[in-house]
Amino acid sequence: MTRRREAILIVFSAVIAGAGTAAAAITLGREVVSDTVGAVLTQLGAFGTVLWAITRWAPSASRLLLAPAAFITAIGCIEVYRIDRDLGRIQRWWLVIAAVVGATVLYLLRDRGVLVLRRFRNLFLFAAVGLLLLPLLPDGLALAGAEVNGSRLWVRLDLGERSISFQPGEAAKLLIVVFLASYLADRWRALAEMPRRLGALRMPEPRQLAPILMAFGIAVVVLVYQRDLGASLHLFVVFVVMLYLGTSRPSYLVAGGTMAAGGMYAAAATFSHVQVRVEAWLRPFDDYTGSGYQAAQAVFSLGNGGVFGTGLGYGSPHLVPAAATDYVFVAIVEELGLAGGLALVAGYALLVTAGFGIALRSTDRFRSLLAAGLTVTIAAQTFIILAGVLRILPLTGITLPFASYGGSSLLANMALIALLARISHEERA
Amino acid sequence: MKGPIRGVAATFLALLGFTAVWLTVGSSYAGSRYADDPRNTRVAVDLDGPRGRMLTADGVVLAEDDGTRRSYPRSTAYAHLVGYDDGETRTGLESTRIREMLTRDDRSLEALLVSLTGGDLGPPDLHLTVVDAVQRAAIDALGGRTGAVVAIDPTTGAILAYVSSPSFDPNTVASGARHRDDLDAATAIDRVAHRLLPPGSTFKTIVAAAALNRGTDLDTLFDDAADYTPPGGIPINNAGAGPCRDGTTITLLDAFVVSCNVVFAELAVDLGGGPIVAAAARFGFNARIPWELGNEPGVVPAAADLDADTPALAQSGIGERDVRATPLLMAMVAAAIANDGVAMAPYVVATRTAPDGTVISRYSGQSLGRVIPMATAAALTEMMRAVVVIGTGTGATVGDVAVAGKTGTAEGGGGPHAWFIGFGPTDDPRIAVAVVVEGGGSGGGVAAPIAARVIAAWRDSMG
Repeated sequence: MTRRREAILIVFSAVIAGAGTAAAAITLGREVVSDTVGAVLTQLGAFGTVLWAITRWAPSASRLLLAPAAFITAIGCIEVYRIDRDLGRIQRWWLVIAAVVGATVLYLLRDRGVLVLRRFRNLFLFAAVGLLLLPLLPDGLALAGAEVNGSRLWVRLDLGERSISFQPGEAAKLLIVVFLASYLADRWRALAEMPRRLGALRMPEPRQLAPILMAFGIAVVVLVYQRDLGASLHLFVVFVVMLYLGTSRPSYLVAGGTMAAGGMYAAAATFSHVQVRVEAWLRPFDDYTGSGYQAAQAVFSLGNGGVFGTGLGYGSPHLVPAAATDYVFVAIVEELGLAGGLALVAGYALLVTAGFGIALRSTDRFRSLLAAGLTVTIAAQTFIILAGVLRILPLTGITLPFASYGGSSLLANMALIALLARISHEERA
Repeated sequence: MKGPIRGVAATFLALLGFTAVWLTVGSSYAGSRYADDPRNTRVAVDLDGPRGRMLTADGVVLAEDDGTRRSYPRSTAYAHLVGYDDGETRTGLESTRIREMLTRDDRSLEALLVSLTGGDLGPPDLHLTVVDAVQRAAIDALGGRTGAVVAIDPTTGAILAYVSSPSFDPNTVASGARHRDDLDAATAIDRVAHRLLPPGSTFKTIVAAAALNRGTDLDTLFDDAADYTPPGGIPINNAGAGPCRDGTTITLLDAFVVSCNVVFAELAVDLGGGPIVAAAARFGFNARIPWELGNEPGVVPAAADLDADTPALAQSGIGERDVRATPLLMAMVAAAIANDGVAMAPYVVATRTAPDGTVISRYSGQSLGRVIPMATAAALTEMMRAVVVIGTGTGATVGDVAVAGKTGTAEGGGGPHAWFIGFGPTDDPRIAVAVVVEGGGSGGGVAAPIAARVIAAWRDSMG
């Protein structure tokens, strides 16, 4: 595929965004022309900018990354706009900013490449921990933590009359992946050697494990303290999988799986809001008017779409609480049907396949680990939230990459795509 | 390191694949399982879509879409069976079968597959088992009197006629000309399935069945007394005041043929409450009949209460006192006897067809199990045939159809309720009928001729 074809696909995604926005606007009686033009221009401008940045600073990059991301973003923007006009308009601004962030990442790495990131490994670790701690700032300051839906993972920056809220955890995830890739690329031999024994379990020298355990511990403790189970689980999966990839030792998976199971059991036994989630997962109709309401409405919503959906504006996705964020996938399935839902899953599969392909082609250990870690980040996040809203697993509220409403998530994921593009460029150049 | 990356990649892609399969199965399950859930506000809108028609077995349209509302071309004739849809409330089959008449294009995976194979997804028609010729004959024969007529195919349970009188025009309700709350309760009630009356002497079929089950036969002799006074009760007389025959003895067959109250009151006391209540319960008393428009359960008091109260037991033996039945239940009693002792659940929708005529689904009767032994059924058939040939039910005679039946004249506030239950032809019964005319007079004189006209109309419609 050439750059030109990639550009054509991005134009396609803009056409989809425009058509969907127009359809929703007409059905719902909103400003058809301005919103449609806005959607098309935003989509073209944002992904055009990233494509331009890639062409300029990572010309040999894989051509498979941007098109699926653009497609998912288009569908997500349409549905967010359909659910809430104002959120949809704000999301457009986030998309523009995210594109600038992605282009900036490519610009910063233009000369020395991703390898330069290794130098700042420890800085990244501390920055990540700092970002994760930010929401715990007391209320009343210019930069203060904020609690939303029982989880304290937001930071509000007070700018006089206005304020901006963001989730620093999204950026922290990326920094942690970079740190881990770098650390594991250096120390993998020591971690793969397992001279110690703890019963039947073989263990590396504890000294080697210390930084990783510290990083892991801080992240998980902070997240549990903030009561954000989804991000905690997500980070944990990324950690464990990267340890396994770095060392080729399946025992890390076994140990991680055991810890995860124990941690979830402990969480379910300790936190009442986790118990409520488990109940809502298994028996949403038992407490229909209470804790099961969201899950039960999601079931109704999923059943309403059929194969091709009710059509934009004709379903009732807004009846599901958090339709634009956690439950955006259910909203898409209701209005665009099983076909729309499967197309979106296929989009993620393409993206994930492209990401792992980059990891497999990379000859350098750091680049390969980084690409794999970034891809695992997006794949695990997608699966955790899809499994949650479809009741494969209990719901742990995190965003659906590129589709959910949310600036922090969109920014982080666009930076992630930029990093993947840069890695694939360096391997081919 | 490449090996583990491949493994992890395969795992995550497999998880996404699993998610896709789960989504496919889960959304179509949710669509079918929760579409009817009352808490699911998403489906209410769909019920206003275009709907198919309802037609009788002989092709008469009973309900169809007419622009913005439902229209009922046969007006008052099927008000209680078909019901009405006034945009807010639905009754009758309009309520129980609405989903089956809505377009099948419900966006589901199943509908997609049907349309891909060339199927017609338009709103399906329902073809009922009722025969308009029979229904019309029943309405004409009732002639506006208060009562009910129901006819069933005893071998299948298919409803052939379903008349409740007086009736109303569902079009006036559907069009809003008359609000449903303004309907007179006496016309709105479905007297076939929701009106409980003492069954009178038609209940003797059940007492006779209980006796036959316990070894009594047609020739068993009873005292032919002029009256019978159960201990502590008031005297029970025969219809003609005096003995039923010559004042000496009388066989069970003869007592049944002339509907001898004294014999059956004494027989009930001899049998005791247990056998009678058991026989009645097997015929469907004290339980709801599986009928889609619902019904009031027939009533027979508990055996212990009857055994403790001999006058009540004696009066129950002739279908009075606290015994109650709907015409639907008594039609099923006749039908079970006609069908060699096996009861069939009543049903009224025969097939569901797409607008292009292809049959989507076909319904058939369900057996409710054996109610009486075959020998008892044969004996009762012989007794009921004699009723029509030489007994109280000669009014039910139909030229070339051998009809069997039992009359009943039950006490009622505004005059006696005239009952007749019967079936024909006796060698291969294909129609069972229950007729009641409330406060109408004697069963033999008033109800039996109505049954005759219904059965004759059925014979004519068979060609």
